[in-house]
Amino acid sequence: MSETITISPVTRIEGHARVSIYVDDAGEVDSAQFHVVEFRGFEKMCEGRPFHEMPGLMSRICGICPVSHVLASSKAGDAILGVQVPPAAEKQRRLINCAQVLQSHALSFFHLSSPDLLMGMDSDPGKRNIFGLVDADPDFARRGIRLRQFGQRIVEILGGKRIHPSWGAPGGVLKVLSTAERDEMLGWVPEAYETLEIAFRRLKSVLDSFQEEVRHIGNFPTLFLGMVNEDGEMDFYDGRIRIVDSEGNIVADGLDPNRYATYLGEASEEWSYMKFPYYKPLGYPGGMYRVGPLARVNVVHAMGAPRADRELREFRQRTWVVRNESFHYHQARLIEMLYSVEAIEDLLNDPEILKEHVRVNAGQNNSEGIGCCEAPRGTLFHHYQVDDDGRIKKANLLIATSQNNLAINKAVEQTAKRFVNPGRLAEGMLNRVEAAIRCYDPCLSCSTHAVGQMPLSIELIGPDGSVLDRVAR
Amino acid sequence: MRLLLLAIGNRWRRDDGAAHRALELLGPQPGVSARSALQLTPEMAEEISPFDGVVIVDADIEPGATRLAPIEANPAARSPLGHSIGPDELLLLARKLYGFQGRAWLCRVPGVDFNEGDGLSETAESNAAAAARLLLEMTRQGLR
Repeated sequence: MSETITISPVTRIEGHARVSIYVDDAGEVDSAQFHVVEFRGFEKMCEGRPFHEMPGLMSRICGICPVSHVLASSKAGDAILGVQVPPAAEKQRRLINCAQVLQSHALSFFHLSSPDLLMGMDSDPGKRNIFGLVDADPDFARRGIRLRQFGQRIVEILGGKRIHPSWGAPGGVLKVLSTAERDEMLGWVPEAYETLEIAFRRLKSVLDSFQEEVRHIGNFPTLFLGMVNEDGEMDFYDGRIRIVDSEGNIVADGLDPNRYATYLGEASEEWSYMKFPYYKPLGYPGGMYRVGPLARVNVVHAMGAPRADRELREFRQRTWVVRNESFHYHQARLIEMLYSVEAIEDLLNDPEILKEHVRVNAGQNNSEGIGCCEAPRGTLFHHYQVDDDGRIKKANLLIATSQNNLAINKAVEQTAKRFVNPGRLAEGMLNRVEAAIRCYDPCLSCSTHAVGQMPLSIELIGPDGSVLDRVAR
Repeated sequence: MRLLLLAIGNRWRRDDGAAHRALELLGPQPGVSARSALQLTPEMAEEISPFDGVVIVDADIEPGATRLAPIEANPAARSPLGHSIGPDELLLLARKLYGFQGRAWLCRVPGVDFNEGDGLSETAESNAAAAARLLLEMTRQGLR
């Protein structure tokens, strides 16, 4: 008798999603799917809007990574204008993107993943959350909040507000940075280093107790894709695309982000509204690739920042050269936070960031523009086609979470096969399935946030549709 | 008496933006700070801590009348996957980490259409106006 176990909904991963675990006639987990039931209507809503309004509109897509959308949108606008932005504007853009990565990763690491990491996968679910962490180690919890505040404060200073900054614009930015603002931001840096040192220490002290999870939660070979600068180092803002395989071999290098459609395809599945991007030369689904923190630290030659490079070297010695284990997204996130703080410090100490020439003026020179940058969850592409009046005819957004869609599905399936025993449902099993998803920190960003959150549940459903068993929390 | 009104919701999901509309209709009030955000996040715990009271205004997927009720800092265990936290979770963080001693309420503004798009349904617009009236009365009475 085959059964279906449904975890529905996976609450507020910035949208609505559910996980179904299919059980075969022998009572074993046969497969699993991560369903996204949310329709991304934003691309359609953009049509007819002037392209110069797009950065402001795009900032409203997401409450967690609005800056990334502003940047990719602004860069697409730069391309439509056919301009290069002034150095001060580029440095401001780099600064705010690092701040964005810092605050988003801080939320993921300290608030969503630390309860698992510091309390254990099988600990009391009533305490395995941010409140349990607050009770156990309030200083660590408070530091996590402060680190996120640092990133948010930079976004607020530059963007005018934290959630939907509209400072970005085609041709540059709309604000000149003052010395006082620069100094305030620099004042946060020492505490950020201290907090990250503590976080690295805590994570490394518990990693050995998660060997089973490291091996079996999303550990499989894929390609990895990320942006690198001309020296092959980490670059969140601009560069070329590099793709490596599961053994670290460079599969493609120096790819032009503007030509993404020639090497990245987007497949669809009837059971999910989210696209399934893949690397075209290997076909679908063989061209599965991953983006985001783990992918980025896998593709770079070095981080290009001394503290982060020390951590990267240790990470690589510990886990070989290329890490296929999704669990290592957590440590990669920490490395990227450290890189971000170093980059923020460097950018703020560069006098050019204070220059007043922050935007170039130009008319429309092209009918198409593509903007690409690294968002917290991975590489982000905005592609606009405009009419002669500069109004959007077509918009295509290739977001990081969708690029991880194939991998998230595979991670869920692998984890369910290893840890879910349909004959004996236990909360810890379900938590590991969630943990597989959590590694990728997915953001299905067009969510509502109304009161009425539903609980997470797992259901055993028989062939006749009846619910045989159910666990909810 | 310092009161913070905190409206949350996504204006691009139609009635999910009802809370922001309620604050627009209320307008500036003496002794009252107002803030709009897409969602509640942990760092807001520190931000609310200096206030004597906070009202979180949010759209509600459940139908019914606009209503205002105290928030209990007793959150149920939730799946740690989302990027936002609930009002009860925010209140507990504020109390435990930042010593918030004030009172807290949740103002629910029911909506009916949470699809992509801007602008509120007639129902949500009416409920937002009701929320503005409730909040006005509350601010005039000084949190009583």
